[in-house]
Amino acid sequence: MTASLPRRQSLANGRGRLAKPLGVAFALLAWSASPQADAPAPVTFTEIERTRILAHGPWPRPATRDPSNRMSGRAEAVAFGERLFFDTRLSQNGLVSCAACHQPKRHWTDGRERAIGLAVVDRNTPSLQNVRDARWFGWDGAGDSLWGQSIRPLLDPREMGNSIAGVAARIREIADFACHYRQAFGRAPPADDTVVVVDAAKALAAFEETLDSPRTPFDEFRDALSRGDSQAMARYPAAAQRGLKLFAGRGRCELCHGGPTFSNGEFNDTGIAFFIEPGRVDPGRYGGIKQLKVSEWNLLGAWSDDPARTTATSTRYVALEHRNFGEFKVPGLRDVAMTAPYMHNGSLKTLDDVVNHYSELPLDRLHADGERLLVPLKLTPDEKRDLIAFLESLSAPDPGFQRRETRAAVCN
Amino acid sequence: MTRRWTVAVVALLVAGSATGAATCGEQLGSSLRRVESTRYAIAYRIEPAPIVVGRHFVLELAVCAKDGAPPPQSLRVDAQMPAHRHGMNYRPGVTTVAPGRFRADGLLFHMPGQWEFVFDVGANGKTERLSSPIDIE
Repeated sequence: MTASLPRRQSLANGRGRLAKPLGVAFALLAWSASPQADAPAPVTFTEIERTRILAHGPWPRPATRDPSNRMSGRAEAVAFGERLFFDTRLSQNGLVSCAACHQPKRHWTDGRERAIGLAVVDRNTPSLQNVRDARWFGWDGAGDSLWGQSIRPLLDPREMGNSIAGVAARIREIADFACHYRQAFGRAPPADDTVVVVDAAKALAAFEETLDSPRTPFDEFRDALSRGDSQAMARYPAAAQRGLKLFAGRGRCELCHGGPTFSNGEFNDTGIAFFIEPGRVDPGRYGGIKQLKVSEWNLLGAWSDDPARTTATSTRYVALEHRNFGEFKVPGLRDVAMTAPYMHNGSLKTLDDVVNHYSELPLDRLHADGERLLVPLKLTPDEKRDLIAFLESLSAPDPGFQRRETRAAVCN
Repeated sequence: MTRRWTVAVVALLVAGSATGAATCGEQLGSSLRRVESTRYAIAYRIEPAPIVVGRHFVLELAVCAKDGAPPPQSLRVDAQMPAHRHGMNYRPGVTTVAPGRFRADGLLFHMPGQWEFVFDVGANGKTERLSSPIDIE
């Protein structure tokens, strides 16, 4: 979570200047399957809370295609991208694949504080679930497309450590890669190394776009709330309902963690230390925007397949500000209980740590530049438990990822 | 004859620019939002409307000088959340469509709540600021 406001602006008090008069309150008679642990308590949602809760769905959302990637949504490209994603031969030493850090069994992350490729990386591995919804990619948003972002780890010396020429050569020379490239793109890998690498990245992106998280207990509640089905709503544990009210109400977590993926896709300084090690600082979003502006892979460049550059609006108008220093991307919260540790550097090990962080927030660490968005929530122990119960309800049992390539392993 | 028509057209233009908030921006169509100061009136249309958190939108604007004020020569558009003391993460690009007509591209509100458009009208080397609040959910 990234956002909160003072208690004086809580919904119970009308949300200060931000609120309209409260409308209909939606009373939910709480029911618990384990009353000794989760005593029934009526939870009511104001109209504005209800609006924000409903904005977290419906889930799943419709399939979309990325206009900047002509391979987006194409089955042959998805299959080729999946093959590349799990294959170590794209790395410089032939030992590291994308899946080394983005592991399916760990909800496409790795469980480590900081990623380890050929060396230790500065930041935590973000999950790839629902990545197709992002506006910016990476903790610093240095990428503005999924295909552009997919090039970066191939070339980063600490991750896969290869070069443009090295990746292109592997795709041309490894018969299986070359065959699947031909199936996806309708031609053999050309002589131009950059064309081959960008194409491979677009195939990787086509695969990564398919990694959607499943429906959760929260989604069942959200849909029941939408249709006014009190019986179905009552199946959602009372503790999770109270946590949801905190999330959408006094905690003001919704300000940043809004929408279907529980992220506004932007960046905040949340008081997490940005020293990577003594004497070395992670500039976060500030560095990300600077990289983005000069990247030949950005959406304003020649490699986008969107001729009208309709997808480049954010890139064209994003502003570099001093306050961006130390800001990191607001992560989505779907499956959050499965993707520890947390924050850009993996410094918070559990959801308890995260909730405690926002409860006691070290204001002296914020690079706020006068901003008044975050304040300590000062949660009671019961409120912390409720908030965690809600966050846990955003996760679903892992349905297990089945690789497609096993169904079409032969390529001639 | 030609001279009389020219004088009439000029008179209409002057009258149009002097009528202020009531008629300013009629050419932009319906669903206009308005704000005015003692010297300027601004009418603007949001496209697409309504504003959705996290999605880019455009403003089409008409800036009309009131009696005695110089015609607007430039316009700067921004937005902020006064309660949070922060603005947008994007710097809109403003283009002049016609005298007194502007288009601002690249706006995006990344949070729900009360925002405030800020318009800086430039004329004869001076700037006048007008602001217009808007609630977003």
